Amino acid sequence: MARHFHPRSNHIARVLVLGAPLLAGLIGFCIWQLQQSPYATAQDVYVDQPVPFSHEHHVKGLGVDCRYCHTSVSDSSFAGIPPTKTCMTCHSQLWTNAGLLQPVRDSWQQDKPIQWNRVHRLPDYVFFNHEIHVNKGVGCSTCHGPVDEMPLMRQHSTLQMGWCLDCHRNPEKNLRPRDEAFNMKYTFPANQAEVGKDLAERYHVRSVRELTDCTTCHR
Amino acid sequence: MSSIPHDATMQTVNPPVIYPGVTYASVTDQVSDVVLKRPFGKAWMAGVGITMLLVMMLTGSIGYLLLKGVGVWGINVPVAWGFAIINFVWWIGIGHAGTFISAMLLLMRQDWRTSINRFAEAMTLFAVACAGMFPLLHLGRYKFFYWLMPYPNSMGLWPQFRSALVWDVFAVSTYGLISLLFWYVGLVPDLATMRDRATNPIVWRIYAILALGWRGASRHWQRYHAAYLLLAGIAAPLVVSVHSIVGMDFAQSLVPGWHSTIFPPYFVAGAIFSGFAMVLTLIIPMRKAFKLENLITLRHVNNCCKLMLVTGMIVAYGYAAEIYMSWYSGSVYESYLSYNRFFGNYAVAFWLLITCNVVIPQLLWFQSIRNNLYLVWTLAIVVNVGMWLERYVIIIISLARDFIPSSWGMYYPTVWDITVFAGTIGFFLLLILMFVRVLPAIAMAETRELVHETHGGTVPMQNMEPRRVR
Amino acid sequence: MHDQNDPIELDEQPLRAWDEFAPDADEMPELADGLTRRSFMQRMAASMALAGLAGAGCNDRPTDEKIVPYVQAPEGVQPGKPVIFASAMPLNGYGKGVLVTSREGRPIKIEGNPQHPSTLGGTDVFLQASILDIYDPARSQTPTRAGTGVDASTFWAALGARLETLSKVDGEGLRFLSGTITSPSLIDLIQSVQRKYPKARWHTYDPMDRANRRAGNVLAFGKPLSVHFDLKPARVILSLDSDFLFDDLASLRYAREFMNARRVRVSQLEMNRLYVAESTFSITGSMADHRLPIRPANVAMLAQAIAAEIGVAGVSAVGLDAASARWVKAVAEDLKSQKGTSLIVVGESQPPVVHALAMAINEALGNLGKTVLLSESTEFGVGDASRSLKSLADDMTGGKVDTLLILGGNPAMNAPAEVDFAGALRAMSTDRQTDDSSSHFTAHLGVYSNETAFLCQWHLPEAHYLEAWGDVRAHDGTATIIQPLISPLYGGQSIAEFLGRLIGQVQANGYEIVRSYWQKAAGTKDFEGWWQATLNTGVVAGSASSLISASCGKPDLSNLQGSANPAAIDIVFRPDYSVWDGTFAGNTWLMECPRPFSKLVWDNAALLDPATATRLGLAGDDVVKVTVRNQSAELPVALLPGLPDGVITLHLGYGRGPRRSNTTDTGLGDTHGVNVYPIRFSDASGFSANVDVARTGKAYKLVRTHNHHAMGGPTTPTTSSGKALKPHAIVTPQTSEAEKEVGNRRLVRVVSLGEFKAQPKIVEELGGEREKRPLLSLYPEWDYSKGYQWGMSIDQTACMGCNACLVACQAENNIPVVGKDQVEKQREMHWIRIDDYFDSASESPLVVHQPVPCQHCENASCEYVCPVGATSHSAEGLNQMTYNRCVGTRYCSNNCAYKVRRFNFFDFNIHRETPQQKMLANPEVTVRTRGVMEKCTYCVQRIQNTRIEAEVALVNIEERIRALSDENQKTAMREEGRKREHEIVEGMQTACQQACPTQAIVFGSILNVGGQPTKVKTLKDEPLDYTLLRELTTKPRTSYMARVRNPNPALEGAHSRGEA
Repeated sequence: MARHFHPRSNHIARVLVLGAPLLAGLIGFCIWQLQQSPYATAQDVYVDQPVPFSHEHHVKGLGVDCRYCHTSVSDSSFAGIPPTKTCMTCHSQLWTNAGLLQPVRDSWQQDKPIQWNRVHRLPDYVFFNHEIHVNKGVGCSTCHGPVDEMPLMRQHSTLQMGWCLDCHRNPEKNLRPRDEAFNMKYTFPANQAEVGKDLAERYHVRSVRELTDCTTCHR
Repeated sequence: MSSIPHDATMQTVNPPVIYPGVTYASVTDQVSDVVLKRPFGKAWMAGVGITMLLVMMLTGSIGYLLLKGVGVWGINVPVAWGFAIINFVWWIGIGHAGTFISAMLLLMRQDWRTSINRFAEAMTLFAVACAGMFPLLHLGRYKFFYWLMPYPNSMGLWPQFRSALVWDVFAVSTYGLISLLFWYVGLVPDLATMRDRATNPIVWRIYAILALGWRGASRHWQRYHAAYLLLAGIAAPLVVSVHSIVGMDFAQSLVPGWHSTIFPPYFVAGAIFSGFAMVLTLIIPMRKAFKLENLITLRHVNNCCKLMLVTGMIVAYGYAAEIYMSWYSGSVYESYLSYNRFFGNYAVAFWLLITCNVVIPQLLWFQSIRNNLYLVWTLAIVVNVGMWLERYVIIIISLARDFIPSSWGMYYPTVWDITVFAGTIGFFLLLILMFVRVLPAIAMAETRELVHETHGGTVPMQNMEPRRVR
Repeated sequence: MHDQNDPIELDEQPLRAWDEFAPDADEMPELADGLTRRSFMQRMAASMALAGLAGAGCNDRPTDEKIVPYVQAPEGVQPGKPVIFASAMPLNGYGKGVLVTSREGRPIKIEGNPQHPSTLGGTDVFLQASILDIYDPARSQTPTRAGTGVDASTFWAALGARLETLSKVDGEGLRFLSGTITSPSLIDLIQSVQRKYPKARWHTYDPMDRANRRAGNVLAFGKPLSVHFDLKPARVILSLDSDFLFDDLASLRYAREFMNARRVRVSQLEMNRLYVAESTFSITGSMADHRLPIRPANVAMLAQAIAAEIGVAGVSAVGLDAASARWVKAVAEDLKSQKGTSLIVVGESQPPVVHALAMAINEALGNLGKTVLLSESTEFGVGDASRSLKSLADDMTGGKVDTLLILGGNPAMNAPAEVDFAGALRAMSTDRQTDDSSSHFTAHLGVYSNETAFLCQWHLPEAHYLEAWGDVRAHDGTATIIQPLISPLYGGQSIAEFLGRLIGQVQANGYEIVRSYWQKAAGTKDFEGWWQATLNTGVVAGSASSLISASCGKPDLSNLQGSANPAAIDIVFRPDYSVWDGTFAGNTWLMECPRPFSKLVWDNAALLDPATATRLGLAGDDVVKVTVRNQSAELPVALLPGLPDGVITLHLGYGRGPRRSNTTDTGLGDTHGVNVYPIRFSDASGFSANVDVARTGKAYKLVRTHNHHAMGGPTTPTTSSGKALKPHAIVTPQTSEAEKEVGNRRLVRVVSLGEFKAQPKIVEELGGEREKRPLLSLYPEWDYSKGYQWGMSIDQTACMGCNACLVACQAENNIPVVGKDQVEKQREMHWIRIDDYFDSASESPLVVHQPVPCQHCENASCEYVCPVGATSHSAEGLNQMTYNRCVGTRYCSNNCAYKVRRFNFFDFNIHRETPQQKMLANPEVTVRTRGVMEKCTYCVQRIQNTRIEAEVALVNIEERIRALSDENQKTAMREEGRKREHEIVEGMQTACQQACPTQAIVFGSILNVGGQPTKVKTLKDEPLDYTLLRELTTKPRTSYMARVRNPNPALEGAHSRGEA
């Protein structure tokens, strides 16, 4: 009866012995990379808006403070999206007939809210609170990145649980004096290790065990 | 091929492992012909038909389950585990006999394992396949089952290794994998035989591929034996570990009737007990159907029975110990549990279990009974039922009556509980039926060795001595 | 998870819904909280913005989502922070003060208003559940004529024409029918209506109108005074068939005052004593120190006997059997010893004469003006027979009625048996067709389009009390202004608005009506200030009616009923613990709320004592036919130990007809239970003796949340397990040694005041040596010595099993309703359950209520078995349940010794289909999906908010301290900081705690906060404190205080003797 396997097939076998695990590993690696890529997390993806509002222009150019628009950031869970009225405080005088601002004026006249497209979005079982972070010395730029460099808003971080935990498991490295919280240009000092410890002390930042309790974010 | 001597003539105290008249050639013919020559009988066809229907029912009920949620089962808040877990433990247990026979007995040089090991291993694989379904299906959110495995993830989380359920995943998957390898390696020489005997080109090609180019060269044999022994060495501890961990799933809790250190050993014993019962349930009809009485002999039946007797006694001891401890511990809840088992709403299940697993198996003390295949077969079925009931008693009764009376409840299985269970039985039998028709159900190569060792395949019948166990 | 999560991930729908259903919404005035139509829409918008925090989505790629800010932010509203408004819930014409939490314009939670005299901050199930009704899509949503939708203007045109002709005849033939009315502004309106149509007549009917007590007062004082009680000074209280802890106008207040005088602490060893002689088993009865089950008809005799003992003038003694006589003697002695500090309360179910007699006794004991307070009634047209439903029905059949306007209520369903109101109405509305020449005109204004609506030609949707302006008086006359939290979701209008429009105010709106009335009534210069202050406090200062002193003449005992023959069967009617008089029959939270004692859900039943059942050859679930004067009703039987022999208790308010459009919260079933109004005659509204009871041979499956009778109670056929298998759960010092050791689980510990005084450590003793064993654990102990360590203490002396906590929890934590069939499968989802333990020793059982939420064990058995760590322990001692990590192995539930975990066997939230229903959910709490475990979290959302508040406050203060130089100032500030922290943390309440009318539940940190001990810490140090199943070493954070009884030495042991 004829032979079914040519001696060459032994090589195939040998290759497979090494190759199969490698291949499996490779596939795993790809999935692992993919699910934390911008494709999955929408990180660094610019989002189109009805009005191309430029944080770069307003923050860097005009030096408007974060809290001018995001009024409730330091005393509510929700930072607050400015009502049309806020825009109109200036734009009832400035650029009153700029085409770009037409939606704002419409909103004001027709009393219809502007529908912005959400940029930062957490799963619904995650309860994030701006108030506590800002009051304990976590600056805006820590999570939102260099907003003053963003002509259009984009999501600076992955917003994945692992990313949250990076900080909750080691808060010191991201703490700054409270009055620096809204400073977009703040740079951490070389001795952040010590500074961070002192600040954690000073602001009663809770122990890592407490910060990583499930109920800190999930209810 | 010489005429096959009838069991009746062989009912000695210690019947031979293989009946006289068996030669190298006859073994190969007998076994391979079952697959290659024998026409598909009506009975077989019917069997496949019925089991196919059951499998369709299974897929149907699983679909409905995944669509609606585990609420379609009878589980509720005091009794949050029902048929799913009972069946899981039951199937896993059944698997154990296979590994025990092929690995343990191999290492202990029990030659009588030879003609049934292939079959038992197949049974193990199929049982594990059935068992494996349940832990998955019973999850409230089955799509997240992979969270039970440790892998790097964006949540920065790991499974909780304090929970026995995690180790269950490892244990069962390892078990399945090793069993598969062990079984396949054992098959290789026989696949080659089949390849060489196959006439139909397609069949030939398939066997050829599966045989991985086995040529029976002495180097092949040498490697083969090494690998086989090695795998046996790996598989042997699994016999103990897997069901120990399943036992710990319960033992680690504080539920009265679960919270007990005796669980691991007595679960293992129970597993082998039920395993051998299942082996007997299957081989007795098979040896008859395929005329393999001379290869799977009364000796095998006898030995299986004896092992059942031993493991059965261990299990019985387990029950006794539980009852004793419930009194000795002085725990209100434990003692109440025993009380409730004896007289409670589920007392029937408990007493039935005692009858099936403790009382009836005592018959096996008698040679005459062990040689009566019909009795042995019924008895094996009874033990299978008994072992299922054991898990029912452990899970349902304990949960239905635990600490705070206000939360007591009752468990009533729904039709979906039953269809899924029946479905898996159908699935199991279907696989068995397929197996016996496409693969050599008896390890030909090993049996030929055995023939050689016994009587060179030529010794005349009258001189034949029952072989001592080496 | 995000499919059904997202209370707030609403698309525009609610706004559209709002637009459609509120046609004249543009005319809505600016409301006190600045809630105009516009701002409401904007709030809805902002609530979507909030969705980002509780926003949708899983770990997968975010889907596109809008974020919509205000155009103009309303004052006082900060996105992400709740706003709280004071208002009041009217029920049977009287108001209970509430504080309503609103989130972005959506009312989501109701609490009691501490400033309101009737609630004192507590709530009952009805207050808690009424929030569900606003969003109920089954509410009537559009005006209808002959059942088909029409435009409101069509109705007003038709009515206008009608009124034209009527005004020519001074409104002859114009009739109004409403429930009891105390609203000052509404009464004012009614008067102007009557000025316009002098011959028009206003009828009132209310199934719970307390006619007997009023009539009793007429007998006693000659006029229908209103009576309420002051339980603070009362040392001895005798309840004659009264459930004053549940069904009185001020029950919440009474419960609070009653329990405050009962709390036993090492520092406080005094408690009042309660005697209850009752014909049913009420929660008041379950609080009694001595309870006497008695036939309803015999209460009068008992009252007379007591009166005689006390020596009320003109009352002669009556012969009673030995047991009762002994009881009466002891009670009378006790009462006499407490002149002026005792109280006799008579239940509404008793005839007027008993009320009068009780008043006489109270007077004889000098309680009038001390514990019994009298004032003029504030009800509209009180006690005027010509205004009764009967006279209306007669006139209707007599053809005297031309135009009938039914304002609220459902008389077609709950009219007395002898009044065929439905028939009369049907006769009038025969030409329900749409030709305007029809001889009659009948219209119904109601929240639901119910039976009455069906029988009228016209129907108009009424506004829910949270949707419209109004005002209402409390039991003592205190007025509250009802402010709406939201514009009518389904476009309803209030009765006031209806009347306003009727008398020609073209754009009558509640705001103007109420405001203008009080502008007159307030009589103050700075009305604006008065108005704001009143709205803020939720009570109109000084509006309580002044107390008057009156004395009752000799009680006329001529028509005292004789005692019934022992073989006869009596029936007792009671308002239901869940649906009241039927007002809440459409409320699924209440329908699924296990009734006290019976633990029935979704149905009412004929409750009777096992002994009686055996005598009648009845078993649980048998259907019996109860016949009173040829009217009959068929109900299933449920057995309840402790009811007097030969007495059947029937609860009112069930079985609303199939026309009831109540696709409720879950869209579950249509009607539930049986309507027993058809056998309730107005002269026997409380009970009727000697009724016929026949078994029909039919059976009906009743569902209860557990076979609670299996808990140390006497055997009943309903228990799933036989007597032999019943473990003992209750342990008292009287429990025999044998019984103690033979498997007593010691879950409930009961001691008498005397025993406690004699041996303060007695509760620990009751735990036996199990209580003394050291608790060893293989795992290293966590360090729980720092920060906040949350714990709870539940006082079983104070818990009366009213279920307020259970419903409050359901509202706070988005707990779904699962339906009767699922409850039958033991899949109810309530995070807190109330176990009622019956003392097996007695025929008239001592009942102890034990609320069981998650125990938050320090060594939680659920935690280590979870393969994915979905349930874990927090540094603050919380047993955390992380829904989004749960894969649903359910092992935690198996391994929970207290069985407090609940599993989503199906997608129980599927029913949140309409946008309105989504609006109800609390955005602070994840809505759980199918296949995950859930349980009590100690309201972790409230804990987190509280901690954040405290931490920020502290940091702010410390930052200020740094800025300071002066040491003294620094220390002062530090001190202030500590105070502030203590105040914030102690201010945090769990939903169950906040709801509890008797403050039986106390939550807080078990460590000192800001250097001062907390409430819960002091309670846990009390010797009455113990934990359930201590020997399991689970170390629960929830602990219980033993039930303390205050038996009368003269009657010791008698509490365990019943009487027929």
